[in-house]
Amino acid sequence: MSAPAARAATMGTRVAGVGLLTGWGEGPGALPADAARAAGGRAVIALAPPALDGGRFRRATRECLLGIAAVEALLRDAGLRREAIRGPATALVYVTAAAYAAANVAFVGAAAGGALHFPYTAPSAVPAEVAIEFGLTGPYLILLGGAPAAIDALWQATRLLERAGCERALVLAVETFAECAGLWARGRRLVRGPLVEAAACALLLPGGRPAAYAAAPGPTPLEALARRRAGETLACAPLVALALAGGARARGPLALGGEWRGRRAGLTWAGR
Amino acid sequence: MARPAAEPIAILGAGAVTPLGADVDAFWSGLVTGADGISRIERFFVDDLRVGRGGEIKKLRALRPEAPRGDCRASRLLLQAAEDLLARVAPGAAPDRIAVAVGTALGGVEQLERAVGAGGRLRHAAGGLYEAPAHALARRLGARGPVLTVSTACASGASALGAAAELLRAGAADVVVAGGYDILCRFVLRGFDALRSLTRDRVRPFDRRRSGLLLGEAAALVLMTRERDARGPRLGRLLGHASGSDGAHIAAPDPEGRGLELALRAALADAGVGPDDVDFVSAHGTGTPLNDRIETEVLKRVLGPRAWTVPVNSIKGGLGHTMGAAATLEAIMCLLAAREGVLPATLGLEERDPACDLDYVAPAARPAHLRVSVSTSLGFGGCNAALVLEGATP
Repeated sequence: MSAPAARAATMGTRVAGVGLLTGWGEGPGALPADAARAAGGRAVIALAPPALDGGRFRRATRECLLGIAAVEALLRDAGLRREAIRGPATALVYVTAAAYAAANVAFVGAAAGGALHFPYTAPSAVPAEVAIEFGLTGPYLILLGGAPAAIDALWQATRLLERAGCERALVLAVETFAECAGLWARGRRLVRGPLVEAAACALLLPGGRPAAYAAAPGPTPLEALARRRAGETLACAPLVALALAGGARARGPLALGGEWRGRRAGLTWAGR
Repeated sequence: MARPAAEPIAILGAGAVTPLGADVDAFWSGLVTGADGISRIERFFVDDLRVGRGGEIKKLRALRPEAPRGDCRASRLLLQAAEDLLARVAPGAAPDRIAVAVGTALGGVEQLERAVGAGGRLRHAAGGLYEAPAHALARRLGARGPVLTVSTACASGASALGAAAELLRAGAADVVVAGGYDILCRFVLRGFDALRSLTRDRVRPFDRRRSGLLLGEAAALVLMTRERDARGPRLGRLLGHASGSDGAHIAAPDPEGRGLELALRAALADAGVGPDDVDFVSAHGTGTPLNDRIETEVLKRVLGPRAWTVPVNSIKGGLGHTMGAAATLEAIMCLLAAREGVLPATLGLEERDPACDLDYVAPAARPAHLRVSVSTSLGFGGCNAALVLEGATP
C-alpha cells in the first residue's frame, strides 16, 4: 500500500456563496450568541416552511420546500440569477442526517395507500425537487449522516470540480426535527440539544485554495462556534460554520469539522 | 476538450447475500443456471397488498461472534456480505486507511417502524436513521477511515462505488469496502404496491408483455484499492463512473433518458474508453414499460451503430429489484462474466418488444469473451449512474 497520506488534498476551490436558513432566521446574523440560552429549554427550534407559488408543490414535503428556499437564499447571497445554475454544468450534492424521518413516520402511520406520498419518503426527494425546480441536470450525489457527511459532501463536490465533471457544485443540507421530536427525545444520547432546524446551501467553484480532507482530533474553533451559535443542526453544521466564517468573503484558513457516531471528519482550506 | 482517463481502481474481491444464495458463488451459479429467487414473502404480512411476492432471503447465516449485535435486518445482510468478502480477501491496510462506502435506498427503515410503534426503544430510533448499517459494517471491519452512506435511491450501489473510487484516487483511503444493500420490508412493499409498480406476472425485462417490477433484498460488497497498490489476483477494475440528474419528476424517469445519457457518456469519458470498446451492457432492466424503453433508446444514442451488436442483459428477473444492492450486484456480475466467459441470461424475456430491439441475452446464458462492461442504474428522483468495468479475463 502507499504510504499513508495524512491529508487528501484537492485542487483549489472557492466558496462563492452560502445560503443559510435556521430556526433562528435567515443568515448568520440571525444566530444568537448562545443557542442553548436562546432556546430557553425548548428541545426543537422549528423552521417554518417557505410559501412557494405553484401547484407543483402541493405534495412536496416541508423538507423539499426548505431545500428550495436554501438554494434561493444562496442565489441571493451570491448575487446570482436562477439561470446561472441551470443545466448539466451544475453538480448537486445533497446531505442530511434525518430530513426524511418525518415523511417516513407519516407513511408508517398512514392507514392505506400512499402512492403520492411514498416517493417523498426517500432521502432523494429533496434534491429531486430542487433539481426539478432549478433545472439542475448535472452530476448528482446524496450522502447521509451528521456533520461528517456534510464534510464528505463538500469534499466529494471538490472532487467533481477537479475531475471536470462540472463547472460549479451546490452542496445542500436540510435538517428537520419537529415532526419527530419524540423520537429525537428517545435518541438524546445521539444528539445534544437544542435541535435547530436548518437548510443551507453552498456554491463551490474551481480555483482558489486547495482543500485538505482529514479528520481533526477535536472540534475546530469554527465548528465549536457554529455549535454554540446555532445549536445542533447535524448535517447543516459545516455549512453554518462556512456562513459564520463569511462564506465567499472568508480570507483566513477555514477549518471545518464534525463528529457523528464516533467518527470525526475535517476539511481545511488554507488561508489566502 | 478530451480529458485523460481517471486512475483505474482495482476490485480485489466480492461478497454477497442474495435471494439466490448465501454468498457470491451461489449468486453466480444461480445467474448462470437461470435460478429463480422470487417467492411468496413470508417474513411479514402481505395479504392486504396487491402483490406479495419478491426476492426474499429465507434464511440468514449466523454471524461470527465478533460481529456487532442487533436485530436490524439491513445490518445483518450487510454484515453477512462482509463475512463472505472477508473470507475471500483481507483489507490489508491500517484501520485509519480503510474506508466504507455503501449505498442504500431504505437503510434501516424497518427499525424506524419499530421505533414508532408501541414500546419503541432508543436502539430502534438510532437504527432507523439510514446510515446506521454502514457504521455497523465499519465496526465489524475495524475501519476508522471515512464512512459514507450514499442514497441515490435505486442507483445507490453504483454511486457508492463511484464515491469510493474518488476516496482512493485522491488518497483519502488505501482500501474501501464499498457496495450496497436493501431489505424487503412492509414499508417498501406497501409503497411500491401503492404506486402500482409491482407486477402480478413475473418480471419480464425488455419483453413485450412486461408489466412492472418485483422487489428483492440483498447486500453486495467489493474490496477496492488503487490499481498501482494492488497485489495478488483481482476480480477486475472499475475504469470509470459518473452520475446525472434528470431534474424531471419525483418518481418517474425522464422520458428521454437525458440524465442517464449524460451519466453514461461521462462514465465512458472518465474511463477513457469509447463506444467501440464496450463489449457488454448490464442494464438496469426493471421490467417496467418506461424504464426498459428509455434504456434501449439511450444505449442506441450513446453506442451508435454498435448498440445492436453489444449484448445486453438484466438480472432482475430472478432476483427482483434489490434497490440499493442492485448496481453493486450487477457490477460483480459483469466482472464474473468476464472471468468465466459467460453472460447470464435475462430471465423472463420471452417475447421481444419491437421497441426494445437490442441484442438481449436470452433465453439462455451465452459464452462470451469480454473485457469492458457498462452498468447502468436509474432511481427515484431522477438519480442516474453508470459504471465502466474491466474484467480480469481468463
